Amino acid sequence: MSENGHDEHGHEHPHEESGHEGSPWAARIRAVEELLAERGILTHEEVEAQIGYMEARSYENGARLVAHAWTDPGFKELLLRDTKAACSQLGIDASGTVEFVTVENTPTTHNLIVCTLCSCYPRAILGRPPDWYKSPAYRSRAVVEPRAVMKEFGLEIPEDVSVSVHDSSADVRYLVLPMRPPGTEGMTEEELAGLVSRNCLVGTAVPQYKARERASS
Amino acid sequence: MSGIHDMGGRREEFGPVDKSQHELEDWERLADAVNYVLNAKGHKTTDEMRRAIESLEHYREMSYYERWAAAAETLVVEKGLLTREEIDERAAALERRWENG
Repeated sequence: MSENGHDEHGHEHPHEESGHEGSPWAARIRAVEELLAERGILTHEEVEAQIGYMEARSYENGARLVAHAWTDPGFKELLLRDTKAACSQLGIDASGTVEFVTVENTPTTHNLIVCTLCSCYPRAILGRPPDWYKSPAYRSRAVVEPRAVMKEFGLEIPEDVSVSVHDSSADVRYLVLPMRPPGTEGMTEEELAGLVSRNCLVGTAVPQYKARERASS
Repeated sequence: MSGIHDMGGRREEFGPVDKSQHELEDWERLADAVNYVLNAKGHKTTDEMRRAIESLEHYREMSYYERWAAAAETLVVEKGLLTREEIDERAAALERRWENG
């Protein structure tokens, strides 16, 4: 991103959230950044590098972890035991002080991730959380009526499957290892990764094979 | 006592989940990055940041990255790194520059 690089990040897209473009905080945070740089507290280069770091992260890292876990039982065991080590094995840099925990969906338990207090999310692996993850509606309701919330995403969990909701914290961030859909035995790891959407990694969707397009996610 | 940010279980206050996604603006990426760099360099911590966000008077009315920008400003002022006056002054100058294209 350049100082005035309005073309580089898809700014031609319509803004779905109103009232941001003219935010007074746009000038204030730029002022803070400029002044901090002038005092030598940080540099523009450090800020640009951090922006690049976050831009380079996406849920596709999570999809790769899942697809590899589906095809390699030893890796799956590692992912569930030590998510950071599993990331490192696939060349995903998840180092740092935050702990990551992968929770496994099974025929008897479905997992859903939320952060009721703010927006804690495995950013180092999956990038920034989607807007809905940060919304008051999701944060407040996911812990008391997870089935109703998932239904809004088009996901209905059978009554005989229990739902386990994990409330993330600043120190511990969760991601979901979904179940491999039946009928995918002959697929390559890359094809399998293509079945894993971002919402599958948070628990508001499950991977589908030959299913109709998930219109709601 | 629950703070304004402590939303778990308050379902009666909120309706369906809005699943629309807005494209991040440059200043939002900047707010995100400035916070991470200040943390990484030891000028503030995640816990301090959370306290600053959770004490914002207009928490509910602010967008996500407005909270981050405001909390970052609170902390750099609290820590004596910058003064509110110089931020006001620089922000006003930036607004003028942007208006004049």
